[in-house]
Amino acid sequence: MSATTVPSAAEAVPPKRAGLLARLLKDPAAALALVFVVLVVAAAVLAPVLAPSDPFDNDLARTMQPPGSPGLPLGADSQGRDMITRLLFGLRVSLVMGVVATGAGGAVGALLGFLAAFYQRWLDGPIMRLMDMMLSFPAILVGLAIAAIFGPGVFSVVLALSISTVPLMARIVRGSALVVMRLDYIEAARAIGMSDARLIWRHLAPNCLSGIFIFATLRFGQVILLGSALSFLGLGAQPPVAELGAMASEGRNFLFFAPHIAVIPCVLIFFVVLAFNVLGDALRDALDPRLRV
Amino acid sequence: MLRHSLHRLLLAIPVLFGVLLIGFLLMQVVPTDAAQVRAGPSATPDVVEAIRRDLGLDQPLYVQFGRYLWRLAQGDLGVSIINNVPVSQELGATIGPTLELMAASLIWAIPLGIAMGTFAAYWRGSIADRIIMAFSVAGVSVPVFFLGLLLIWFVGFQWQLLPFTGRAGPVWSWDGFQAIILPAVTLGGVFVGPVARMTRTAVLDVLSADHVRTARAKGLTERLVVLRHALRNALIPVVTLIGLQIGFLLGGAVVTETVFSWPGVGRLAVGAILSSDLPMAQGTIIVLSAGFILVNLLVDVLYAGLDPRMRAA
Repeated sequence: MSATTVPSAAEAVPPKRAGLLARLLKDPAAALALVFVVLVVAAAVLAPVLAPSDPFDNDLARTMQPPGSPGLPLGADSQGRDMITRLLFGLRVSLVMGVVATGAGGAVGALLGFLAAFYQRWLDGPIMRLMDMMLSFPAILVGLAIAAIFGPGVFSVVLALSISTVPLMARIVRGSALVVMRLDYIEAARAIGMSDARLIWRHLAPNCLSGIFIFATLRFGQVILLGSALSFLGLGAQPPVAELGAMASEGRNFLFFAPHIAVIPCVLIFFVVLAFNVLGDALRDALDPRLRV
Repeated sequence: MLRHSLHRLLLAIPVLFGVLLIGFLLMQVVPTDAAQVRAGPSATPDVVEAIRRDLGLDQPLYVQFGRYLWRLAQGDLGVSIINNVPVSQELGATIGPTLELMAASLIWAIPLGIAMGTFAAYWRGSIADRIIMAFSVAGVSVPVFFLGLLLIWFVGFQWQLLPFTGRAGPVWSWDGFQAIILPAVTLGGVFVGPVARMTRTAVLDVLSADHVRTARAKGLTERLVVLRHALRNALIPVVTLIGLQIGFLLGGAVVTETVFSWPGVGRLAVGAILSSDLPMAQGTIIVLSAGFILVNLLVDVLYAGLDPRMRAA
């Protein structure tokens, strides 16, 4: 058998990645969501540059100024802090929480999923039973427990959201890895004496990427939503830190006099989560047409 | 089916044990000293030591865990550090309102979601389908507290139509009924979307199945085909998926209770954590987890009951 007859991983991957962006942009909702996500990420990254003032800069003379007041297009909060500035920095905290939780939880989950699928005989059972047990705890309960242990704060929320992401990612990755494991080129790569670690990294992982990518996008939206809910409950970001859920919670006390303080952060959370959900759905349709319904 | 149920029950036991262990360890890893908190900041070391002995905190961990399990078995969850009320008493008073809120939310959200999903699947690709699907994506993206705050602001404050703080008695009394409407609309509101989406997928799957084609071929009315042959079979995955969403519902309940000052377990748990009332936090978390495990178990059994293929398994 000559080396050229061994099918390479590159051939097994559908060679359609180049057209992904084009296909995404064909769907108007997905295109809009993508543009919005890019804008939101840029705004969060550039917050210190874009923000008209300091996020902690309170001016009691302009307390609860409504949107449209001079110099305050979106008004001021209960401490007289500029809403635009607070929103930009709040977005930053919320997105970082989402990235860290999805990234850390997703990485651990993906690793466990690969291990379960690769060493199916002796690791699949124990790992997946553990994942089932972790799945029996809804994210909010994990959040409550972690906040009870470590005290309320951004760290607790990120830890809780990471933990609750692990079993979900592990299941997704295990599912797609099991399919890939049955393909001939894995057998072939094994036959030429490739090490397990290299086999997983070079051949197994790249072929499960689309599933991971779709899930991570959808999960990111959920993580933002859950994180903001935990912060709204007072278990996440603590004042005076600007975080969207915490801002909504603060504004709740002034709902009847100055509804904008609570409503504007809520609207922003809604659109960010919506954009990631729409984008995740569109990615799934584009990357994995079998899942389309 | 009995075997299946027993199997699930056996699987739930280690999970429950894990919950209890985590609940116990929660008290151990927390940096605050329970004896010190109970004694107060001005207590002398002797007093703190006496309280520590009194609470059994000077014993080895496994002894403490054994005692803790023994107390739990007797329904003793400890005493609140804040107001000295037994945790079980507070929990007993809050479980009812939480279950009431969940039931009041599901009772309208699940039928509406199933109806919307079936409609969208049947008229797949139509404007109505797109509107329903857009609504359901929006539904899973909206923060529960946003929906709650909007309802409070418009329905409660601007239009003065309904009360929006607390529970006003049992749901069958007029006041109690009025008070539960806004919380139930809030919590159910975020549940309609996922249910509609799951139902649509399931019905679409079934609509293309052979038995549906046969039903059509033998001349059944569309109504019978959809309701009896398609929806009934589609309900099996929907029940399971709804069961899996119970965690989502629980999360929503915690937030909804906080927004509407609803005297439920979720609000109790959040209050306990914020005030570092560890026994209370521990008790609420254990009860919420155990309830969640129980519901999952029930869904599993119900699933077996709905799907004859599962009974043999």
